[in-house]
Amino acid sequence: MSFIVRTVARTADGREIVRPKVFDKAELSVGRSPSSDIHLADLAVVLNHAVIRQSGGTVEIAATAGLPFIVNGKQSEHERFSASAGADVRIGSHSLEFEPGEGEEKGSVVITVNRVGAISNASEEKEEARVFSLGHVLPGKRTMAWIGALLVLAVFLAWPLASIHTQPTDATRKVAFHADEMWTSGHLSQTHKSLENNCQACHVKAGESVRDTACVACHSKVHDHADPAKLIEAKGSPGIVGGIKQAVGGVFGIQPGRCVECHTEHQGKTAMPVTDERFCTNCHNGMSGRIQTTLKDATDFGAGHPQFEPTIRFAGAGGVPMFRRVSLDANPREDNGLKFPHDLHLSTTNGVAQMAKSLGKGEGYGAPLECANCHTRDATGNSFAAVKMEPACGACHSLAFDQVGGTVRTLRHGDPAQVVADIRAFYRAGAPRAAALMGMDRRRPGDFATASQRIDFAQTSAMHIGSADQAIRAVFSKGGACFDCHTVRQTGNPNTPFAVTPVALSKRYMTKGWFDHAAHDTESCVSCHAVKGSKSSADVNLPKLAKCQECHGGQDAHKEVPSACAMCHDYHRTGFAPLMVRSHRVRGKDVEHIEEKALKGAGTGA
Amino acid sequence: MATKSLRKATEGRERASEHEGFLRHQGYKWLKIALTIAAVALLIYAFNDVQPRPNGGSIYGYTTGTIGVGLILWLAWLGVRKRAITPGRWSLKSWTSAHVYLGLSLIVIASLHTGFDFGWNIHTLAYALMMLVIFSGIFGITAYAMLPQALSANRGETTQIQMLDNLRTLDRQLNEAAQPLDADGAAIVRMALEDDPFGGGLIARLSGRYPRCGTRAALDAVRAHHVREEGVADPYDHVEVLLERKKSSLSRIRKHLRLKALLEVWLYVHVPLTFALIAALFAHIVSVFYYW
Repeated sequence: MSFIVRTVARTADGREIVRPKVFDKAELSVGRSPSSDIHLADLAVVLNHAVIRQSGGTVEIAATAGLPFIVNGKQSEHERFSASAGADVRIGSHSLEFEPGEGEEKGSVVITVNRVGAISNASEEKEEARVFSLGHVLPGKRTMAWIGALLVLAVFLAWPLASIHTQPTDATRKVAFHADEMWTSGHLSQTHKSLENNCQACHVKAGESVRDTACVACHSKVHDHADPAKLIEAKGSPGIVGGIKQAVGGVFGIQPGRCVECHTEHQGKTAMPVTDERFCTNCHNGMSGRIQTTLKDATDFGAGHPQFEPTIRFAGAGGVPMFRRVSLDANPREDNGLKFPHDLHLSTTNGVAQMAKSLGKGEGYGAPLECANCHTRDATGNSFAAVKMEPACGACHSLAFDQVGGTVRTLRHGDPAQVVADIRAFYRAGAPRAAALMGMDRRRPGDFATASQRIDFAQTSAMHIGSADQAIRAVFSKGGACFDCHTVRQTGNPNTPFAVTPVALSKRYMTKGWFDHAAHDTESCVSCHAVKGSKSSADVNLPKLAKCQECHGGQDAHKEVPSACAMCHDYHRTGFAPLMVRSHRVRGKDVEHIEEKALKGAGTGA
Repeated sequence: MATKSLRKATEGRERASEHEGFLRHQGYKWLKIALTIAAVALLIYAFNDVQPRPNGGSIYGYTTGTIGVGLILWLAWLGVRKRAITPGRWSLKSWTSAHVYLGLSLIVIASLHTGFDFGWNIHTLAYALMMLVIFSGIFGITAYAMLPQALSANRGETTQIQMLDNLRTLDRQLNEAAQPLDADGAAIVRMALEDDPFGGGLIARLSGRYPRCGTRAALDAVRAHHVREEGVADPYDHVEVLLERKKSSLSRIRKHLRLKALLEVWLYVHVPLTFALIAALFAHIVSVFYYW
């Protein structure tokens, strides 16, 4: 009935010193109190922590202060175990190992007391280099490097590649995010917005730069600018840098002249940018020296653009109409078959002006004539509808010749044979009254313009003509209604003795370029068209280059409206106006310029 | 290291250092080279009219891109090179000097490569990672230039081991002084003993603030614990003194840890992000030529 307590202590160099102590009693006290049989200098242990009893072959351990201990790994406040089996008891940082005594100690319970925990956290074994470094609180640099690199490769390389090889590219492709979009170099233009999540629509083959075939898959009607062989010839030598670029491109199968050279994508969610001027001047600058062409060289709208050469109609041999492009510098005369002095009609003081005033607002006049009285915009707004005789001229230049009851009879415009027939019929009927068939200087203008004056028709007609033939001759001769505006020739045919040269007004003078009247609404007509001094309809009243250059310069010019070639010219000759004309879109800030000017014109601008 | 060097001539017993830091190595040779590179790159960029706007796909874009990736790989190679310390023209110091200044010139080269065309894509990611690596490097150099003096001033003549041993001694004394205390008193002292001087996370290390410091809590508790009688020996008095000493010892260690953390933390950004950057660069190059 005894305990042998072996207390193990360690020296500074780690050597163990064991101090045995024999207790011949059945009960031992354990605690931090120095009076305890087993004294544990351990702050986790209370002064009187537990008692150990021995009875028969059994050892009993019981907590005295209600603080538990651990027996064979199990927390407890009261535990019994067989002395022969022994046990491992932990109290605080101390281990109490119970063993049955052997040899001389047989019959005793041997308790080996050993401090197993350090007295403080700092006293625990610490690896100096590690605890003092940041590595102690952070994952290793190598670990983080691996994780970061693998994460980036997985998300930004493996995922897009997997997406490319698993997602369909046809119509079944979902309109949703696809991982390869992370490879985009910028948003697509508005036109191509629908392709935003279908990279392979254009980037068809891996590692192959975008080919024209991808563009043509949708843009099937785009016209070539010219014969490709001629284009290359026109371009001339690419120079050292261009040559190297071409050679390197050639190695990778990139041919010059691809669509994407001019039409750059991935430039952001804007309208597709207007093609840069240099893509045109590449060839057109000094082109006449490289290839056989009638085209004049052009470098820049402000600095190197040939004078405009409108297509002019003129009478060829035998009066056959012919067309020729003539420079405006040559002051071309147009043969359109019409006699029309603009100056006379736009005067603010003469008889024409007075007549327009007297016609009044009810007839659409009321003030001296202005351009819009005859010239009206066509449906596109870009251009003008052809001037028609009846609405534009007829209000003043009446073809009325008779009145039956309240109905005024007019000669048929555009049909000389009918005119002759009508006059003959009039005289055959007895001609009790004189016909008003003379020109405008023979009667008061506007005689037939208003209903009230129509009634007085017979009285106000001063001229009396004896026979139909005389009347017909008068109509087609100087001073007659037809002759005033038209070129009349004699046919020698007694049935239709006169013929009128057809009038052919030019619908479009500039067939190689485009002009948008709507974009110039801020200007007045006469600020460009010098018609107020034009005495003849043969005048080609188009503004010359210098006029345009007052506002327009080359694309990089410090002018009100910097203008790249594509503003007026269409590369693909599609028959449509160039993109810029169609959409009224011009490069960047120019829109603001125009809007600003419009606001100023309206008196609301800053 | 980036020490200030070539101080005044030797004065009295103090000897002037012959040491020349990597920043002013060879009379700022690499700074001059880097500035030249950056200036030339900027000049070419200014006069290189790329349409519709500058981008990495132009000839100059490919050039700066190639130089950039070469430079990045070479810069990263310092991680291998630094493990072999050699003197001479191609000394490690020279290499480090070049690493710093050429790394800084990369800001110009890579930014020009981008053409300032950024978006939410792999390309901008690579650029952003590169800038983070460079800025962490700048932070590192600043730390190396400024903190060692503070570190040394805080440490005095003691070594790290001595700091720790000092703490251990105090703990032992505390443990002994607390033996007579009751369970409550023991619990208070154990708060201080079980306090891990190296505990607290990254934020604690960098800020030097340890709001859950056991020693301070123990000290507060001891002071608040009970009224001690005048002239009567009380074990709490000794415990309080010891706790105060531990607190001051801890605060020196923590300041040391903070300075060391500030010295080291940039590398924990610089190195892992370098590898993430190389991975992103790889993905960037693959993607660019995959979708040419």
